[in-house]
Amino acid sequence: MTGEVSSARAPAADVPGRQSRLAASMLLALAGWLVLALLLSVPVVYHSRYIVYLGTLLALQAALAVSLNIVLGFAGQFALSQSAFFGFGAYASALLIRDLDVGFWTSLPLTALLTSVLAVAVGYPAMRFTGGIHLALITFAFGELLRLVTANLHELTGGPQGMQLVYTPGVVLGVDFGSTRGLYCLATGFLLLCLLISILVRRSDFGRALFAIRDDETLATSLGIDVTAHKVAAFTLASTLAALAGAIYAVFTSFISPEMMNASDSIALVGMLIVGGLGTTPGPILGTLIFVGLPEFLRVAKNYRLVLLGIIIVVMALYSPKGIAGAVNRLMTGTRRSGA
Amino acid sequence: MLLDIIQTGLDGVMVGSLYAMVALGITLVFGLVGILNFAHGQSVMLGAYVCFFLVSAGHSFWVGAIVATLAMGVFGALLERAVFRRTLGDPFAGLAVSLGLIMIIENVAAAALTPDPRFMDAPVSGNFAVGPLLLSSQRSLVFVISSALILGFWLFLQYSTLGKAIRAMSQSRQGAALVGVRVDTVSRSIFAVGSALAGAAGALYASLFAVTPFMGAAPLTKGFILAALGGLGSVPGAIAAGFLLGLAESFGSRYLSASFRDGYGFIILIFALLFLPTGLFGAGKARV
Repeated sequence: MTGEVSSARAPAADVPGRQSRLAASMLLALAGWLVLALLLSVPVVYHSRYIVYLGTLLALQAALAVSLNIVLGFAGQFALSQSAFFGFGAYASALLIRDLDVGFWTSLPLTALLTSVLAVAVGYPAMRFTGGIHLALITFAFGELLRLVTANLHELTGGPQGMQLVYTPGVVLGVDFGSTRGLYCLATGFLLLCLLISILVRRSDFGRALFAIRDDETLATSLGIDVTAHKVAAFTLASTLAALAGAIYAVFTSFISPEMMNASDSIALVGMLIVGGLGTTPGPILGTLIFVGLPEFLRVAKNYRLVLLGIIIVVMALYSPKGIAGAVNRLMTGTRRSGA
Repeated sequence: MLLDIIQTGLDGVMVGSLYAMVALGITLVFGLVGILNFAHGQSVMLGAYVCFFLVSAGHSFWVGAIVATLAMGVFGALLERAVFRRTLGDPFAGLAVSLGLIMIIENVAAAALTPDPRFMDAPVSGNFAVGPLLLSSQRSLVFVISSALILGFWLFLQYSTLGKAIRAMSQSRQGAALVGVRVDTVSRSIFAVGSALAGAAGALYASLFAVTPFMGAAPLTKGFILAALGGLGSVPGAIAAGFLLGLAESFGSRYLSASFRDGYGFIILIFALLFLPTGLFGAGKARV
């Protein structure tokens, strides 16, 4: 999975050893996909409710991280509203189903539509005039505001106590998406969709324009790239995917509350990307496995597992700023321009 | 009605002075070394615990507050030496590191000190009347202490050698180095001073609210709002924003909706960032 990054960015000139490096990074990519396929198939084989539950949770978290990577990793825009849109999607879908009587599947495109309108409304003014740390603060404030509004609209949302949901996706094409395994398939399918979108974006002109904006906004403008439009588009795409993940999460847990929009979750997502490898394809997934998966498996040191996690993050940030994906890539292929 | 407005305004100013103290550390660190230190709230929490334990052990509130301030100053210097020095000029790494530090400090504190909320006796209690107004003694004391600290800090920046070096560095790091300012020492002392102010704020928080391992989050959030509202890196901006936020929350929850108290700051922040993106005092360049 790391492969296409380095191969796309390897110098064009004929450097000695380039062939072997290319082969190594392709092998690495293949190995990465194999490991992912293996991981995703564990809950299908294992007959443990806990494993299936954990798998679904991890898949949705990874989907959030993968989509955030488009705006944060590719475009370099510090958006801290990912979990706010995650919660917004959950509430939008739940309210559409409860009050407007649409089905779960119909609610998904409607949620996506609503979210993209909201994301443009927030993103355009925020990204037109500001960037960097100010964008982080605006999106942070927007997220907290959305959470407080949700918690205060008692009649509509049930306030801070949250909402109990009674619907399921139902049976489609012979698959019961209401069962735990069906929900796992739904979440995994959505994760793969996010990965596919992320890879397509990376390889498109749109994605290359985002990388140009991340590296140098002024230069990107002088090359004829509409910087604001590209930033808003990346933000809207990431937010919409987050909202869809929220809609799936809502049907998965049957309970939603304003706590889903907690800004600290958005910040933790940024941490996951940094630890995994910002702007790389496998980075968000590695980061999710470490942040969400590792604490689940560190049963031994139950009290101290978050401490251990904190230490891992500090050490990673100090000694491998390109994240795990960058470190692995460097080790395996010997390329210096690892990561993205 | 007029009386009610004055009373609400005084409440706002008292809370605002506490907010401003936390914001000062955040804005200084950002203005000087470009790091948004998310672990700043942990200094507030640890300072509160230091004060709580000293007061519980029979010392006076004043001993507790002073020791908390000094201890957090040392803590800030240690963090800079061990961690933040290595992430200078890389905001993403700085962010990741401070996230990791939050997890470490909060959870070690929760494991070692139990997550139960603790309360300590305030040094003064009851209310006193000024004409027709009724004021809480402890809140007034907090206001006096934090205003004195803010004023003292302001004088320190204006007149002491270190304060002048800090101001020089905030204008130009290279320029300051050229005229003989030891930028390394100044960076470390700025972490120490910011953290010490947060420790003092923690002691004051402890005299008003419950002390828990997770109490650092709220002052941190407010501190970020204020630092941005005042213009990141601007000391007068952060102080003015602190009082503004205190007043907005106080009037908002008195006359609009109390459960939306924490929301007013975010509304002000969003409008301020959209229309005054360089903060209350314009300029744009960090000013101390």
